[in-house]
Amino acid sequence: MSGRLLVGLLLLLLWEMAARTLAGTHLLAGPVDVAGWLFQHRGLVGRALAVTAGEAALGLLLGTLAAVLLAALAVLAPRRVAAVISLLMLFLFCLPLVATGPLLRVLWGPGLGPQVTLAALAVTFTSYLALLVGLRAAPPVWLDLVRSYGRGRLSELWHVRARGALPYVMAGLQIAAPAAFLGALVGEFTGAERGLGLLVIRALRELDAPATWGLATVAAGVTVAAHAAIAAVGRRLQAEPPLILAAAPGRLEGPLPVLAALALGLFLWAGAMEAAGLSPFFAKRPWDVWAFLFTDPEAMAHRAELALALAQTLRVAVPGYLAGLLAGAGLAALVILAPRAEAAVLPVAVALRAIPIVTTAPLLVLALGRGPAGTVTIVAVMIFFPTLVACLQGMRQTPRAVLDLFESHAAGRGARLLHAQLPAMLPAFFASARMAVPAAILAATTAEWLATGTGLGALMAVTASTSAYGMLWSATLVIALAACLAWGALGLLERAVLSRTAAEQLA
Amino acid sequence: MAEAPPEVTCQGLARTYGAGPDAVEAVRPLTLTFAAGQTTALVGPSGCGKSTLLRMIAGLEEPSAGSVGIGGQPPLAVRRRGGLSVAFQEAALLPWRTVEGNVALALRLARRPADPAAVAGLIRLVGLEGFERRRPAELSGGMRQRAAIARCLVTAPGLLLLDEPFGSVDELTRLRLNLDLPRLWQERGTTTILVTHSVSEAVLLSDRVLVLSPRPAAVVADIPVRLPRPRRAAMVRETRFLDLVDEIAAGLSEGGAAADRPLAAQ
Ligand SMILES: Nc1ncnc2c1ncn2[C@@H]1O[C@H](COP(=O)(O)OP(=O)(O)OP(=O)(O)O)[C@@H](O)[C@H]1O
Ligand SMILES: [Mg+2]
Repeated sequence: MSGRLLVGLLLLLLWEMAARTLAGTHLLAGPVDVAGWLFQHRGLVGRALAVTAGEAALGLLLGTLAAVLLAALAVLAPRRVAAVISLLMLFLFCLPLVATGPLLRVLWGPGLGPQVTLAALAVTFTSYLALLVGLRAAPPVWLDLVRSYGRGRLSELWHVRARGALPYVMAGLQIAAPAAFLGALVGEFTGAERGLGLLVIRALRELDAPATWGLATVAAGVTVAAHAAIAAVGRRLQAEPPLILAAAPGRLEGPLPVLAALALGLFLWAGAMEAAGLSPFFAKRPWDVWAFLFTDPEAMAHRAELALALAQTLRVAVPGYLAGLLAGAGLAALVILAPRAEAAVLPVAVALRAIPIVTTAPLLVLALGRGPAGTVTIVAVMIFFPTLVACLQGMRQTPRAVLDLFESHAAGRGARLLHAQLPAMLPAFFASARMAVPAAILAATTAEWLATGTGLGALMAVTASTSAYGMLWSATLVIALAACLAWGALGLLERAVLSRTAAEQLA
Repeated sequence: MAEAPPEVTCQGLARTYGAGPDAVEAVRPLTLTFAAGQTTALVGPSGCGKSTLLRMIAGLEEPSAGSVGIGGQPPLAVRRRGGLSVAFQEAALLPWRTVEGNVALALRLARRPADPAAVAGLIRLVGLEGFERRRPAELSGGMRQRAAIARCLVTAPGLLLLDEPFGSVDELTRLRLNLDLPRLWQERGTTTILVTHSVSEAVLLSDRVLVLSPRPAAVVADIPVRLPRPRRAAMVRETRFLDLVDEIAAGLSEGGAAADRPLAAQ
């Protein structure tokens, strides 16, 4: 406890010192200025916060409901059907908020629609994945028990799997609640009349450092509090979060599920647009995007523009992603060597993981110079905390008996780290690396949108404001597909590595 | 409530895991009859296929060949009416349910009305009085196994399949359970098939001992146990008891010659 407090105070002090050294630049406001600004505008901020929190809560509720239904369906259905559901969910999750935000805005018109939808979208996949892993985590012998009384899959689901999944659900919610808040914020960026996101956008336009950092602090406070509250509820329910949240993706049995998911996805997309009777001017159908990219007279130019933007985005997203992963895993390994430090760092990292860093993107970019360094840093920071937390928790999962064995041979810390703790960390590391792919894209495109004016983020923002919907839809699709591919490639690597180090993790 | 004990028949029952050069033949085609109301002990070296055989009888494992009849019915039909209970090698208690809750679960799964008196009685019988409200994590390995046995018995099934039910129970408690529990299933008349590593437990509990060879399991000795019931602690020192123990031990070491290697190498 006192360790945690110390680390917290230290961070505050560093913050204030950094603000003072940067005082001339008006980019970073310290805790003192931030507190002053917040106190002065407490009424305004309070009202905006209530709006955004309400949207986030509604989104969380809807997203979780959808996740529960889909996960139950996936568990009851044959494996291949489950694979199709999972692939569609993954694709939805990989859609960049920067693009879906403006699109939802035109589809929904003014009001709460886009914010709530984005909050729900931000939640559904993480919750679905957590539920699915949890529902499948029941040891086979529990299922045998149910079967030995002649009961079927529904009884299994009800008596054994559902309750067994509770810790996983709580762990998923802990990540989902901050994500819902971030989704609502980004939804508000796209032109809401009220809410915290609106204040953030205004503060950014005016380069008002105390306001920006003050609002970021409020957002951070809310997400950290939500995170902690869910953890407390979990403890109440005797559902200590399981340490590894996402098990390795199942092996795809041939290309069939992918093709089926593709076909079903296209069908749902076109069907929804047609059924709602949305104008093809802004609600593009699959064939419109196809025409835009391949059969239109200008198709070649369209593709070139898209490829250029994609390359620009990848140039910052990939290094940032790798740097974040490396720094997170590296620091985790260092920290685990000093058990006292670990006890202090883990809770702080768990809290910082929940902070919506992208809301400060423009100022960070300005502070770090206009070049790619700023965006790379934002991406890295966005990836860093979840990776650190996952790796620390993974290493903690080293079985007691294995540690005792090393102890009994008086093995050094280095040997223990290398032979016991790092292998134990791998499943959590890979799970986190997969989830980080869409996060990296979100961070990169948001920074591009709000600050640098380059890459896909800017392209999507510009096309949204100039009503160039063909390009907007195409860019959205391209980046989501790229993220899905990266996810799949990581999954293959993960299976290859884990089959040597943790075969029991592979279903 | 208790149903008449069924006769159990295995017709050419066999199980091979995997295929090709890596195939592991766990159980050789076996044709066996377990008489109604009798207790049969299966003893054999570790990994010889005892659990596999038991799981096939329960219908939890699909046989590669052959069939099982429980009172002339397939296992699934018997399971559907709560006609059998399995005590698994690992206790398989649900960690979020208390001891009481775990025992009561069997009644729910078997679609029987709740019966707190029966639950409490069985918990007392297995010596877990005072631990009704504890969760499995707060129990020792042996206590968990005893809770699992109580869960098995609460539905008063006609067929009991016990896979090393006393594996982690201390000698004294084990002896007490060995003497107390058979009384219970004897009164109700239960066909019991018991896997055990303890030869003396096999003799003490059963009417018949089947000695299995190393994998793939085949019966190397079929030894009737004609000791009077109820069995008493003093019996373990009698000559006829010790003779039986010797006979079984001899069967075990005789069958022990075959090596445990993949099918292709044999
Ligand atoms: N699911 C499985 N897949 C592949 N092989 C299996 C499987 N289950 C069991 N086996 C193999 O079948 C053989 C018999 O296993 P089984 O569990 O029936 O042994 P057992 O006699 O119960 O051993 P023990 O006394 O140690 O519990 C073993 O050699 C094991 O390797
Ligand atoms: Mg066994």
